[in-house]
This record gives sequence, C-alpha cells and structure tokens, in this order.
Amino acid sequence: MSDLRKALLPITTFVPMDIKRLFRDKVAIFFVFVFPLIFLLIFGSIFSGDNNVSFRIAVFNESDSEIANGLESQMIDNDFFDVDEEVTTTVQANEKMGRGQLDATVTLPSDFGHSQEGSSGPSGNIEITYNQSNENAGRTLASVLDSMMNEVNSQFVDTSVPFTVTAESTASEGLTQFDYTFSGILGFTLLSLGVFGPTTVFPRLKQKGVLRRYKSTPLKVWQFFVANVLSNAFVGLLALIIMFLAAVFIFDLNMRGSIINLSIVVVLGTILLFGIGLAVGGWAKNENQAAPIAQLVTLPMMFLSGVFFPVFLMPELLQNITRFIPLTPIIDSIRLVITENASLIDLAPELGIMIGWTVIIYLIAFKLFSWE
Amino acid sequence: MSKRDTKNIVTVKNLTKTYDDKNVVDGISFEVKKGEIFGILGPNGAGKTTTLEMLETMREIDGGEALIAGIDVKKQPNKVKEIIGVQPQTPNFEEKTKLTEIIDFLASCYGEKVDAKEILKSVQLEEKASSYPEQLSGGQRQRFSISTALVHGPKVFFLDEPTTGLDPQARRNLWDLVKQVRDRGITVIMTTHYMDEAELLCDRVAVMDEGKIIALDTPKKLIKQLLAKGFKKEQHVEQADLEDVFIDLTGKALRE
Repeated sequence: MSDLRKALLPITTFVPMDIKRLFRDKVAIFFVFVFPLIFLLIFGSIFSGDNNVSFRIAVFNESDSEIANGLESQMIDNDFFDVDEEVTTTVQANEKMGRGQLDATVTLPSDFGHSQEGSSGPSGNIEITYNQSNENAGRTLASVLDSMMNEVNSQFVDTSVPFTVTAESTASEGLTQFDYTFSGILGFTLLSLGVFGPTTVFPRLKQKGVLRRYKSTPLKVWQFFVANVLSNAFVGLLALIIMFLAAVFIFDLNMRGSIINLSIVVVLGTILLFGIGLAVGGWAKNENQAAPIAQLVTLPMMFLSGVFFPVFLMPELLQNITRFIPLTPIIDSIRLVITENASLIDLAPELGIMIGWTVIIYLIAFKLFSWE
Repeated sequence: MSKRDTKNIVTVKNLTKTYDDKNVVDGISFEVKKGEIFGILGPNGAGKTTTLEMLETMREIDGGEALIAGIDVKKQPNKVKEIIGVQPQTPNFEEKTKLTEIIDFLASCYGEKVDAKEILKSVQLEEKASSYPEQLSGGQRQRFSISTALVHGPKVFFLDEPTTGLDPQARRNLWDLVKQVRDRGITVIMTTHYMDEAELLCDRVAVMDEGKIIALDTPKKLIKQLLAKGFKKEQHVEQADLEDVFIDLTGKALRE
C-alpha cells in the first residue's frame, strides 16, 4: 500500500464505523436528531402561529341604541378583537390592564348612538382607556376604531372620499417570522451537536482508557481529528436534512436559496463548532472538567449570536462584538441563503470569519489534545 | 538474526523516571531475550507499571535509554509503536461497536488490513464477531483485547497485570494464551502481583522495589538462592491447595 493510502486507512475505516455506531445508540439518536426536532417544533409554533394581531379588550356598552349594540356585537365577532366577556366592572378592567392581561378598555357611553340636541342624526364618542405601558396597542386600537367609525359615518353622511388608502397583505410571498427563526434553531442544533457531543464523549473515552490504547498505536492525532471531523460533518448534514424537511413540510419554510450553498455553510459551520468541542473535550481529563467549560463557551454564544433574539435589538457596541463570535456568521449565512438566496460570493465576509475561526480553533485543539 | 534465539530484543540502561524530584524508576538496567516471557514483580508503587509504560512509549523517558529491536524508544517512539503490542490494565473499548469493526480499525492504525474473523478465531471468539465489547465477560474481554493488541504481528507484547480480577478459570485460560503468544515467537513482558503466575509463566523475572531492580533471574534460580540462604518454609503435608479444590469442583472449562 502506498504511504498516502496507509495514512488515510484509519480515517476511511473510522468514519463508517463511527456513523454505524451512532445509529445503534438510541440515546445518541435522541440527542442528535429527535431533540433538535422537538426544539424546532416548540420554537416553530411560537414563531409561526397565525400572524394576525389581535387586541384583548373589554367592552362596556352603556348605551341601549341600535348602533351601539351593533358595534358591540361586531367587535365580539371580529377576529381582530379578542373581547374578554368576563370583565364587568371598570375596577376589574383596570386590574387586568395593569397585569397586562388586557390591552385596552372600550366604553360606549350611555348617549352613544342617540340623537343629540340640535343635530340631525345619531352621534357618539367611543372612549378608549389603556395602560401607560401599553401605549402602542392603545393608539393602534384607536385608529382601528376610528376607521370603523368612518364606515359608520359614511352611512349617515353621503360623502365621496377623494383620498383613500388600501392595504393588501403579501403574506403568501413574503417571509414569515419562522423563516428568520429557523436559522437560529439550526445554528443552535449545530452548536449542541458540535460542542456537547465531543465534550462528553472524549473525556469518557479517556477515563475508560480507550484513547490510551490508540496512543499505543502509530495513529496520529491529525488522523484521529480528520476522522472525527468527517464523521461529525456527515451527521451534521443529516441533522440539517431532517430539520429542513420538517421546516418545509410542517412550518412552510420559504427556501429561496440553493440547497447546495446551504449544505456548504452547514458543513463548514459543523466543522468549526466541532473544533470547539474537540478543543475542550480533547483537553479535559474527565467530564467534570469538560462540562463547565463547555457551558461557559456555548451559553454566551447562544445568547449573543441571535439564536434566541435578533442581534439588531442589542446595543451597537455589543453588535460589533457579536459579529465576530464563531456562531454568528454561521447563523447569518444560513439565514442569508434561506431568505435572500445569497451566493457564496455574497457570503464572503461570513465565510471568511468562519474559516479564520476554524484555523485558530483547530490549532488550539491540536495543541491542547491529550490521549489520557 | 532470527536464528540467534538468545539475542536480546530489549536492552534497558539506567532507565529513570522522576516525579517531583523523586526517582520512581531509579536507573534500572536489564535485558530481555528474544522469545521469552519476562516478568516484572514488585509491591504497589515499586515502579513496575511506570517502567512498562516508558518501554511502551506511553511515558516520557527522563533518563537512561531503552532499545527495542535496536530502535531507541526515546528518539523514535513512532517506529517502536509499530513493532510492539500493548495490553492495558483494564481493557475497554468504544461501546456499540462490533468486535470485527474494532479489529479493523486498530489494524488500520498500523496501516494494515486484516481478516478480523480469523483473528477472533485465534482467541475462540469467532461466535462473538457481531457482539459489542460491553456484552463480553471479563475473561472474554481480556482475550479480545489481547487479540487486538496483536493485529499487526508485533515483536514485543506488553501486559500490565493481565489477570487482576479474573476468576481462576479465566486466569488459567489467559496463561495458556500468553504461552501461545510466546510460542508464536513474540517476546512477552508482563507485570504481575501473583507469584504463582510468575512462577508458572515467566522464563525470567525482575523483582522491583522502590524504583530499583533488587533481583533478576529465572524463578527456579531465585528459589534456589533463597533456600541456599537456609530459608525454611513451614511444612505442608497436603499435596493440594484450595485452588486445586476449586478447579476440581468447578472444572477447567471457561465460564463466560
């Protein structure tokens, strides 16, 4: 056998063995494939939902006029309003608004819809009260009711309105909240796959003396690294496929970019994140050493890289820092491929940061690795 | 070279290992002849395992030198790794991995492809080819571990306390295996706590204490030397001991 084939033999032998081993291990399957899916289902249903905004309101109809009753029943039937019919007094309503359980209270005064002295037809004024902390909802509600009243007005006063606004939803073609969330969920999955796998497995193998046996053979550290990286990249790709299919079929993910670009980004991201796990797990002598360091590395990344909430909500200074955290370019490029059909050239800055990190992290991992 | 059976395959000169200014292995020298079973005996902390690990390339050699088949262990550890086989004290393997897969992988570490089933057959484990190591009994695991340490046909085979924790049947089986390894022309270097084991298996033994070799010879000669000093053992009239009773009652067949 040639020297090259001899050097590659441990790698080509290890990878299929390692993958088969994964599929025999129910616990591993749960953590690698099922757990991310559950995570996807939970987060997916939080963020996909129906996108209609609805206001939780209490309605006090003090008037007996036909118009007031009609308006009340319209509000109860309308999806736009979520009328809380349990609230019967102003005190109750104020309490619920204070707790954030109600957005606003709508009052139709007793003279609403009756003809006032000196006027030709019925008139009235709707009173809206809302909590100070909920000003946005209150104002939006006011303008919604205002436009409802315009409709009513037009039935009493014959006017032709010269300027109008029509709004039409483009929901069918647009991106949903889920399309943005998916990249974060996928990033989180790759992070836990890459970091929590090796940081639990390698210290355990060291304690059992399994890696020590490899040390007594001519197997080189780089061969062991490459073999593990390839096997993990394959698993990462498989996790991507499963989550992608679930996202498309369950949550109607809008995939605008190329699957190949997405796969390239995912494989590069997997290799990078696995390097972190390899550095920590390869350094630690036992699980007690590895676990806290793994948490210390992953938790800030999860919170600062836009897994749970968008980076643009953070202060500018923090945003500049998060850009350079290893997980951020991974999540960003996944999102750019899915939502904007970004090409690999468009992704050059993100890929550049990823490759830079990969080199640094693997150099550290190589330096810190020990078989025992 | 192979015809000169008395040729030394391992030469150790002034081998030293220092931890915290203390020499746990203190300048020991010895030779191991090709094709023999060489035992290193001694109480806990005598430096047996450290000595073995330095020869196995698993521990840095702090002083002196060791040659295996003419190769300097300190200078060319990678070359030494290719001609030695190592049986660890507690043989463990990755779980959920078939025995044949483990053999294939360990052979690949030496850049070799082997017939895994044939290797399993040599240690009577051919029926376990598709089992996982965690499904094996202690004795089976020992046998399997030995077979994996020999996948590449090494010249020297190291065993560290191979029978600790095994039942009498499994111990006897392992002794047979070690003899078979020797009969294949592989030199065996082992440590042990059990004197009966050393007396029965080893062609020569080195007795270590506090990092030094305090005696080195064949078991028979060491006993003769002791008797020559006028040592008398309390006389026993029985021609058997409790272990003989145990084996007689339970048979020699291996239990798994």
